[in-house]
Amino acid sequence: MSDEEHHFESKADAGASKTFPQQAGTIRKNGYLVIKGRPCKVVEVSTSKTGKHGHAKCHFVAIDIFNGKKLEDIVPSSHNCDVPHVNRTDYQLIDISEDGFVSLLTENGSTKDDLRLPTDDNLLSQIKDGFAEGKDLVVSVMSAMGEEQINALKDIGPK
Amino acid sequence: MAQEPTSSEQICGAAAWIIREGMKITAHSALCVFKRQPRGENEWFMNRPVSKTHGAAAWIIVELYNGQMQEHHLLQMLSGIIQWINPPDAVSTAIECGKSESEMLDGCRALLSIATITTPMMFDKLLKSLSPFGTLSLLSTLTCEVVKARVANTTEEETWSYVARDILLDTWTALLVPTVSGRNDALPPEGIHAAAIVFNMIVECELKAASASVFDDEDNSDYQASISAMDQRLSSYALIARAAIDVTVPLLTRLFSERLALLHQGRGTTNPTGTLEELYSLLLITGHVLADEGEGETPLIPEALQAHFVDIVEAEKHPVVVLSCSIIRFAEQSIDPEMRASIFSPRLMEAVIWFLARWSNTYLMPFESRRGNNCISGPDHESQHRSQLSRKALIGFCGEHNQGKLVLDIIVRISMTTLISYPGEKDLQALTCYQLLTVLVRRRNLCVHLVTLDSWRNLANAFANERSLFSLTAPHQRSLAETLARSAIGMGNTEAANQHVRDLVGHMTAYLVDISSKDDLTTVAQQPDAILSVSCLLERLRGAARASQPRTWKAIYEMGFSVMNPLLTLLEIYKHESAVVYLILKFVVNWVDGQISFLEAKDTAVVVNFCMRLLQLYSSHNIGKISLSLSSRLLNEAKTEKYKDLRALLQLLTNLCSKDLVDFSSDSCEAENTDIAQVIYLGLHIVMPLISVDLLKYPKLRHDYFALLSHMFEVYPEKVAQLNAEAFAHLLGTLDYGIHHQASWQVASKDMLHAAKIADTEVVNMCLRALNALASYHYKERGAGKEGLGSHAAGLKDLNGNLQEGVLSRFLKSLLQLLLFEDYSTELVSSAADALLPLILCEQGLYQAIFLNYCSELDKLI
Repeated sequence: MSDEEHHFESKADAGASKTFPQQAGTIRKNGYLVIKGRPCKVVEVSTSKTGKHGHAKCHFVAIDIFNGKKLEDIVPSSHNCDVPHVNRTDYQLIDISEDGFVSLLTENGSTKDDLRLPTDDNLLSQIKDGFAEGKDLVVSVMSAMGEEQINALKDIGPK
Repeated sequence: MAQEPTSSEQICGAAAWIIREGMKITAHSALCVFKRQPRGENEWFMNRPVSKTHGAAAWIIVELYNGQMQEHHLLQMLSGIIQWINPPDAVSTAIECGKSESEMLDGCRALLSIATITTPMMFDKLLKSLSPFGTLSLLSTLTCEVVKARVANTTEEETWSYVARDILLDTWTALLVPTVSGRNDALPPEGIHAAAIVFNMIVECELKAASASVFDDEDNSDYQASISAMDQRLSSYALIARAAIDVTVPLLTRLFSERLALLHQGRGTTNPTGTLEELYSLLLITGHVLADEGEGETPLIPEALQAHFVDIVEAEKHPVVVLSCSIIRFAEQSIDPEMRASIFSPRLMEAVIWFLARWSNTYLMPFESRRGNNCISGPDHESQHRSQLSRKALIGFCGEHNQGKLVLDIIVRISMTTLISYPGEKDLQALTCYQLLTVLVRRRNLCVHLVTLDSWRNLANAFANERSLFSLTAPHQRSLAETLARSAIGMGNTEAANQHVRDLVGHMTAYLVDISSKDDLTTVAQQPDAILSVSCLLERLRGAARASQPRTWKAIYEMGFSVMNPLLTLLEIYKHESAVVYLILKFVVNWVDGQISFLEAKDTAVVVNFCMRLLQLYSSHNIGKISLSLSSRLLNEAKTEKYKDLRALLQLLTNLCSKDLVDFSSDSCEAENTDIAQVIYLGLHIVMPLISVDLLKYPKLRHDYFALLSHMFEVYPEKVAQLNAEAFAHLLGTLDYGIHHQASWQVASKDMLHAAKIADTEVVNMCLRALNALASYHYKERGAGKEGLGSHAAGLKDLNGNLQEGVLSRFLKSLLQLLLFEDYSTELVSSAADALLPLILCEQGLYQAIFLNYCSELDKLI
């Protein structure tokens, strides 16, 4: 079962725990869940029983928060699932380099230069166009289970 | 026809013609009966809505005839169809062997149509002219055959027996449903016997179907759907059972104890699933027989149960009491872990909880009522007296002074068991929280006893001080908080009630205050366990806020007050966690809603100030924010989250509005009072930029926004005048949008499209009313020599020196454009006219100019 895989994975990670065990029955729509090692956002939950007089199980439909793929899982409601620790940090966008990296200003004044721009054309243009127009942009970077990505953009300039 | 038609035949013929013009089915039947012709094409009838048509046709018949003729006509009808349904066993066999079922079904429909206009006595009497037994006996035998056939059908399809069963159950319902006084509802003795036989067969077949269904492959994923879908059928069963209560209640008791014995005997050796499913069925049927739904009111013990068993005056011998107690004693065994493991499956427990909820609402500590004695019409004093005693025994057996408290305690302990010992069973826990526990706190007399019970105190304590109930899904925790807070109405005095609430919510506020003041909050807050705890506590706070009553509002105010600043901190920290943000907003909405009417001026100012800060903070996080994702699904979800947040914010502003309408505070000093109108306009000004045209397409948001806007314009038009040019332009811009733009609907069905159009019309109506209010205000003010809308109406030069036209002239043109050249519903004519008049009065010159222009255009065409 997926349970065992994830426990093994999270133990192997050093430092702060990347996932947290939570009873399947308490995970609701718009919550987060690890399925097949991927951090996902839950878009649908339904319950059914294992046999008429058996116990409840939860059917989750979720979307991988980084690559957008749809994943599903069925877990007995009383069992624990892994919930990913999803971190969100805001940075001011300083520069976009030619080789597809962004230069971000952190809170303590240093720069973060190791984050790639998204490759999807639509997302890319939303960031690049805003930057090219000279807007003051703040990007929200979402990180979970060792991956990170820009997931929101905010124009903080004067209107 | 060979002979000269008699006058009654002529009348019958005329009636048949009338019916035919309106309702073709019965006409065809009636014509065949009158003309004694064989039936023609029958399949046609199958898909017609039956009972309404027949009922309407039958009504016409009643209006045309008096009693004797009516009876004659019905007898004719009956004799015409009798061979289609008699003898029932032969008919059933023939259909199973391949004969078409259409005649049989039409025969059933004829019975139904007769049943809708006759009393049970009349109905039964009809067949006696033709045969030794009455119509009720035939109905009974027929129903039994159909029900048997249905059970025998092992395929998934709905065959003739499904349709027939529903028609026949409707027939029984038509005969047995208690009517308004004036009609004699009594059954003849053979009828009672007939009902008893039918109920017996029904239950036998339901049990057979139950034990057979355990081999079904399909998941019974939605218990709610199955109980409510069965509701109509179960209600029919209940009516039949109550017609023969002397027999049917002891029957249920016997069947119940037989199954229990089977379970106990087979424990550990045989698979109990079949018996468990039978018990599930029995509980549902019994719950319907013994008690009614209530629909918002407290249901009384059904009259049939009160009126029979006249000779039984000791409660413990009363069959209804015996049945109730045996079920409750059985339910109590679920508290024992071993019994629970071997017998009380989650599904069975769901039936138990459902039963207890339905039963308690009627029987648990009912109001000791003196009524009910008036309808006794016994011939002598002695039997009247006994009957009264019997009723008293039944009503009182679970009263406050008898076993009521004991049973209440058992129910609370069973509830606790489902919440703690059935981890992950959301459906079961939902039933406990939303249906059972809410019943227990619905009435004050129950709460008075609840708060003295150790079991209730244990529940409250577990909720407040232990972790066990945190594993319930969050909405259930919300419901539980509301229930526990509500039980405070059972406390002796206001101070005790408030303390009860404080004890309950203390842990919630303490945690939130604590976490929000942590130094490392940013790191801690984003961990999943912190998010879970915060979410659960916010839901609990919401629940407590919703339980606000006059007695306990103070404690709930204090609760909200103590978390004001922590909530703002959390809103900042969790700005990217949409689920938490939504919970914060909803809590504030619920809290303000329960409090605002009671607050004194000083506290009102505090609350209003907090709400404004909340709005500003939310706005600063979200204005100009674009979600980026590879997944269109996730982007859609983000949009939905935004829309829900905005609805919550509008609800908050609407709730604040109510202060001016409903004010229980004792302050009389006007000067200190917060200017609510100004607050709302400020709030709207903050929220507006977040509401894009795209989001206004969501119908509910649309409705909420324009409802608030039109309310503000109608009640506080003078404040509109005081808005600055930019804010004013913005608001009025949305008004223009609301009048002209109907959302483009992509909906699944015609019904939804119709509903959507109605909703749209309502929105435009509200906008027109707002416009009317604005224009009328200006006209009246100007008439009194005042400013009115001032520069907004007069038009002003903008930054480039161009003259912007005034708002009223703009709307006059806009409204005329709508009325003359665009599509709109006729329902808008009245409010459009109301808005047009003041606009014309304010801008007479422009109006004349417009029409002269139209006229000259028309002249050119002619």
